[in-house]
Amino acid sequence: MRITSNAYDSSLVNQLNQLSAQQYTIQNQVSTGLSVQAPSDNPAAMENTLDFQAQNAAQTQYSSNISTLQSRATSVYSVLQSLQTITSRAGEIATSAGNATNSQSDLNNYADEVNQLINQVVNAANTKDPSTGQYLFGGTASSTAPFITTTDANGDVTAVTYNGNSSVNQAQIGAGMTVTADIPGANTGSTGAHGLITDSQSGADLINHLISLRNNLTAGNTAAITSTDNADLQKDENNVAYQVANNGVVQNQLTTAATFATNSSQSLNTMISNASSANLVQVMMQLNQTQNAYQAALQSGVKIMQLSILNYL
Amino acid sequence: MLGLFGTLNLAARSMQAQMTGVEVAGQNLANVNTTGYSRQSVNIQTSPDVMTGIGPEGTGANVTSIQQAVNTLLNTQVQSQQSTSGYWNGQQSALQSAQNALGEFLNGTASTASTTSATSDSSTGLASQLSGLFSAFQAVATSPTSTTARQALIGQAQTLATTFNNVSSQLGSLKTSLNSSLSDNVDSANKLLSGIAALNQQISAAQFSGGTANDLLDQREQDLENLSQLTNISTSTETNGAVDVSIGSQALVTGYKVADTLQSYDAGGGQMLVQTAIGGQPLTLTGGSMQGTIDARDGTLATLQNSLNTLAGTLITQVNGIHKGGYSLTGSTGANFFDGTDAATITVNAALAANPNLIQTSGSATASGDNTVALQLAELGSTTQSALGNQTFNDNYDAAVAALGDSLATANTQVANQTAVTQMLSTQRSSVSGVSVDQEMTNLMAYQRAYEASAQMVTTINTLMGDTLAMKTS
Repeated sequence: MRITSNAYDSSLVNQLNQLSAQQYTIQNQVSTGLSVQAPSDNPAAMENTLDFQAQNAAQTQYSSNISTLQSRATSVYSVLQSLQTITSRAGEIATSAGNATNSQSDLNNYADEVNQLINQVVNAANTKDPSTGQYLFGGTASSTAPFITTTDANGDVTAVTYNGNSSVNQAQIGAGMTVTADIPGANTGSTGAHGLITDSQSGADLINHLISLRNNLTAGNTAAITSTDNADLQKDENNVAYQVANNGVVQNQLTTAATFATNSSQSLNTMISNASSANLVQVMMQLNQTQNAYQAALQSGVKIMQLSILNYL
Repeated sequence: MLGLFGTLNLAARSMQAQMTGVEVAGQNLANVNTTGYSRQSVNIQTSPDVMTGIGPEGTGANVTSIQQAVNTLLNTQVQSQQSTSGYWNGQQSALQSAQNALGEFLNGTASTASTTSATSDSSTGLASQLSGLFSAFQAVATSPTSTTARQALIGQAQTLATTFNNVSSQLGSLKTSLNSSLSDNVDSANKLLSGIAALNQQISAAQFSGGTANDLLDQREQDLENLSQLTNISTSTETNGAVDVSIGSQALVTGYKVADTLQSYDAGGGQMLVQTAIGGQPLTLTGGSMQGTIDARDGTLATLQNSLNTLAGTLITQVNGIHKGGYSLTGSTGANFFDGTDAATITVNAALAANPNLIQTSGSATASGDNTVALQLAELGSTTQSALGNQTFNDNYDAAVAALGDSLATANTQVANQTAVTQMLSTQRSSVSGVSVDQEMTNLMAYQRAYEASAQMVTTINTLMGDTLAMKTS
């Protein structure tokens, strides 16, 4: 084949262009650590990466949901603990008061204590979520205080009204997995989440039962305390115990879901990395090879182009 | 028998012939870097012999022609490859711009470790903003009354809407600039057509007077190749040396005349196509950068625009459909979350943007803390949409990105292939038509030596003539 003067130049320019383009691509991969940057680099890998990134964003959001729910569940738990103390003390009072040896003044003392317990229960039931400032036990009507009391001339609570509802919010903690950390203050229906204070499924009605206990104490009606109040308060204690157990279950679920979300996120990161990350060792090797080729092309090209018949004329 | 004068004449003609050789070598050397130049060579033939008593006797040599080294088959191949190259280059540059307009890139910083771990996030693209929107709905669903979460949701939704608007307007202006590059191409093609017609006339005039217009042929070949880059043409050579140019059955250059020129026209909806200017005949192009531009515009780019509009439209209807039935923190209901109908017009309802408490997340008019609607909105992110071919919003968008990437990757590969083919053809052609300095210098020396020898011949005849004249005086 006849090789002309410009054949060397143009093919050398072409080769150098190609090698420079390769070096540019490889250098980009080294500095960004990515083998895919634009959709055209590898459309399938790009699609997978975007897909995994979206899934990863969802997992991150689940984690954030979980930690919100965890702090809410913890707030709920601390209220449940104080209710447990209150119900067990009320049970003790009911048992002791049933004893016939008590004088009316003893009973009045008990009644005073029960009044305090009532106030404590109302306070506890009207607790706000420290992070959102919303009432924890109003169901989904969480913006107003759920329990409103009516008091007599002495300031003693005579009745209580529930302003909330019996619905609870479900929140997503995983794909197709929802959980609620909320407890409605009262549920007088036959289905749904058990109410914290009033619950027709378990027969609990803590505040009214305490009011009845206090009234019987003040009236000296120890028979009614033994026959009715004792049993009623037992239902309340059981209901609180049920709520504590339920809260434990929810917290467990949240912990498991949190671990799952973290693990998913990690494996998605690995998948993203597999799809779009450059293998640095391999890329550095390629860079070396390309550089060698570039040098060789330059050296041989310059040597050949320097020579012509003119050197010998 | 030539005699002294005949021989002197022979030597003089020989000097002329060798001189022409030197001139042609000089012309070749001067054009060693001229694009499209085909090397020329001198045809020297023995001049007609004369009959003598001892038989025919030679009378030296004459220059009969100066010839071009051209392989017309190669030229035809180059023309058709130029048309293919032009097509893919047109596609490549259009799709490259579309990819930039979409702005879906992975960013990363290499970690120092030698293992493969890079953080890739494309925070500017629509993909992460779509998933961000659904995450923001999730956050509101988990804390339905939180103003912070609502504010964040509005921010995320506004960013998403703005990005949709930006991408849509960039793709729109890309379409406009593709249309104007099409009409630029049409102008260039028309200039080339009239150039070719003018060259046809000069070439056939030169042939009529009995020569070949080598340099004009080179020029015309260049013009034809440049025209091939713009569009697919077919050519035929007439007996007078003129080349007729046509696209399909539409004659554009016949003989010395431009029969018809090209014109871009609006085929409806701003879709610019090419037709003949006089005949008004729409042209079906099959190659060249014009068709590459048209195909990229009406193919991949239009598909991308459509799928973004469908995506935005579906997002608007689905989100609004759920949102409308909800109740805000103030108990209001029936408002849209997004306004607009497609990627160009999508915005967040201004009333909601001004007061995030108006986002309707509750399923109950009386319970503002309810999250039923927010949860439904959040779950939209993982719900397949029949309007999107039973894909989720993210999956649908990711597929659109991949489709664009596929088209561009194909164009890139084709451009690389075409570059290799063109390079190979041009090496082949340069092997036939290219100038070699070594060869020309060698030729130059050969002609120089021959010229010197003929000059010596003249001196010798001169001496002989002197000798002859001296015979009389002595």
